[in-house]
Amino acid sequence: MSKPILLSLHQGLRKSFQSLENNQKVWESVLADCIPLMVSLGNLAEQSRALSNIQISNTPLRDFPDLEERLRFKLQLSTDTVLEKLNLNMSSLQSVRDSVTNQVSAVVQLYEQNADSLDLLTVTERSSTGPSVSDMLEWLVNAERHFRQQYLRRKTLLQTLRPDDLSLLESAPKRWKSLESPSAEDEIRDTLCKVHFFIESQ
Amino acid sequence: MRDNAVDWHNLMLRWEGLNDHGFNAASNIINIRRFQSDQRLLPDESAPPPPPSSEAADLQDECCKLQEVVNKMVVVVTKMERLMTSQRGIQDLEEFQFGPEGRKLPLFHSWSFKQFEQVSGLLLDSFRQELDLKKRILQEVAHTATPDLCIVFLSCWLQQPYLTPHCRLNLEALLLETGHRAL
Repeated sequence: MSKPILLSLHQGLRKSFQSLENNQKVWESVLADCIPLMVSLGNLAEQSRALSNIQISNTPLRDFPDLEERLRFKLQLSTDTVLEKLNLNMSSLQSVRDSVTNQVSAVVQLYEQNADSLDLLTVTERSSTGPSVSDMLEWLVNAERHFRQQYLRRKTLLQTLRPDDLSLLESAPKRWKSLESPSAEDEIRDTLCKVHFFIESQ
Repeated sequence: MRDNAVDWHNLMLRWEGLNDHGFNAASNIINIRRFQSDQRLLPDESAPPPPPSSEAADLQDECCKLQEVVNKMVVVVTKMERLMTSQRGIQDLEEFQFGPEGRKLPLFHSWSFKQFEQVSGLLLDSFRQELDLKKRILQEVAHTATPDLCIVFLSCWLQQPYLTPHCRLNLEALLLETGHRAL
């Protein structure tokens, strides 16, 4: 009697892993796009810092009218543009996270609804082509948590940035990089390898 | 008038290209200078006074490149001045034909001759000022020791403080008015 339930559970898991695979690709490419933006953010902060450190009136640039204000304005403008692009990327990350969360919670819900009619052996049994249901659910939940945490941390970092707080802007690229968690990413890639045959088998 | 608008567009594009080249040269100059001053700071008792090294040659090279870029920028601005002169010429002709008020119907969509002149004047002034700034940076960039000032020079070169977003808007308006950009 647990056979049809197991089949639909497998179907749900398959769909989730396929969506995880696609979302993982999108996620990586969006994060890669963020790297040069973060670098320019740091550069712009460095330029603003240098401008604050010198007195234009003591330099060979003294006879240019409102140079400091104009340069500051342009720097501000470029910083805004970069931040805007980063925020756009954040919304792409958000949609990746949402899509993974929806997919994973649907399959977890499906399992919970039918947990009573599935005996322990069915859930933990693996075959030559597919891992056990319990393993796969665990991997999915872990991957979903990774995206959720990463998104929150990066979003928080961006939200604390203020165009007028140079030290925050200067340290942003470093802090952004420190959020990377290669082990979790590896784990997701690993998972996708492990379920490869399972996804293919129909 | 339509051709003038296209020329403005092309000249501004050319300027941007030159600006990128110039920025590369200027940052190379600053890197070489930084390298040289780092070397001077190193305690180096045994070495004889350094002969004119390859860095000096490189520095000279990059300075020449930057000089070339600025020369080309001068040409661009001269062409812009010529555009402005031709603009004035057309306007004089217009006044001769239609009197000081100009023609009753607009030439293209809505602008009067005066507006064309204002836009060209604004663009020309911005570029002239920017060119002056570039010339000054060219003179000073290889003689500056303060790292902060070096960054400010580069920053000025890159950010082009005298070319405001307003300039870009004006150019777009000019292109729109003359029908080069679809309404």
